Amino acid sequence: MQAGRGFRLSPQRLLLSGWPWMSLALLLLAVRLSKGAGLSDLYALVSRPFWPGTAQAEWLRAAQRLDQQSRLQSLEADNQRLRRLLGLQQAAGPLLAAPVIARPASGWWQQLLLGRGAWQGVSSGAVVTAPGGLLGRVVAVTPSTATVQLLTDPGSRIGVWVARTGEHGLLLGTGTARPVLRFLDRDARVRPGDLVTTSPASTLVPPSLTVGVVQNLDEQAMPAPEALVQLSAPVAAVDWVQVRR
Amino acid sequence: MVMVDLWRRGWCLASALLVPLLALASPRLLQLDAIGPAWAVLWLLPWALVDGPISGALVGAGLALLLDGLHPGPVSELPALAGLGWWWGRLGRRSLVLERFLPLALLAVVGSLVLGVSQVLQLQLRGTLPVAALHVLWAQALLTGLLAPLVCSLWLLIWRQQLPGVR
Repeated sequence: MQAGRGFRLSPQRLLLSGWPWMSLALLLLAVRLSKGAGLSDLYALVSRPFWPGTAQAEWLRAAQRLDQQSRLQSLEADNQRLRRLLGLQQAAGPLLAAPVIARPASGWWQQLLLGRGAWQGVSSGAVVTAPGGLLGRVVAVTPSTATVQLLTDPGSRIGVWVARTGEHGLLLGTGTARPVLRFLDRDARVRPGDLVTTSPASTLVPPSLTVGVVQNLDEQAMPAPEALVQLSAPVAAVDWVQVRR
Repeated sequence: MVMVDLWRRGWCLASALLVPLLALASPRLLQLDAIGPAWAVLWLLPWALVDGPISGALVGAGLALLLDGLHPGPVSELPALAGLGWWWGRLGRRSLVLERFLPLALLAVVGSLVLGVSQVLQLQLRGTLPVAALHVLWAQALLTGLLAPLVCSLWLLIWRQQLPGVR
């Protein structure tokens, strides 16, 4: 009886001697309740040198691009078919790559001179695009050159629309880098950042070509609100363009 | 007589082709805020000073026809360039002092402003005046005035050497 009394511990001593085990139990509980937080991060940190290389990520991105391209082609084909059925303007004719051979800096006209002309099948009224979107239209053609009136030219006027709100407007060149979008409705619901494209009902230019982004809106303008549009195609930097014949 | 005179000056006249070529090339080094100088003024001013009012007006009109073909729309530089050619030709008949650096620069500035204002008026009538018209006007006049002493003096020197018969 006397010998057995030596193994009895008081609650305080039990607490003192057992705290490491209790801490461990609490830690495990915390890991369990947090769905592995800490543990996963620790694993990520330790295993970082052995992660898959960038090649695999590139493969995935390439596969994703391929998938998106095929979906885009499929959607464009659908779109063409539906537009044919509705008798609307077709989106794209044959494309011709053309070099920009002059950018006259007169200040009075905003134009480009292309190194392709009537001999290559370019005709007046053809639409000119660049990476980023619409640049302008061909207004004069010689056998080997074509003059493009840019969207920023004071004489340029094309019908556009804002896809988010479905509102139509007229894009007017002002001679500066940012043309003015004049809305047809008095209560325009457009806001800065909205994408501007060519009008789906346009007869002058192919539909749904990217034009630019609304930069700011003047709701007080009369007779209808006006917005400044930042063009998406970099006119000053582009050296080759595409002409839709 | 004038036509015979112009024919004799054929190759000098051919240098006028540099004007549309430079207007198209628009070298970036010679731009002020993306605006180039009035190359037509820089060529026509010395020509008219050397060759007189009739030649100045005729060549100015011809040069304007060349330049009008380079831009869309019916706006023409013909009245301004023909008038400037006539005016500078008359001035050139009176005084050689005009061929010094400062008078050349001032005449070029005035010529550039006259040319610009004539275009502004035509664009205003068509309702397609650029928002930054004043900016274009001043930038072009300033740049033309800065280049005139160098460019016009050079042309004057060349034409006087090549055409001993001129005044």
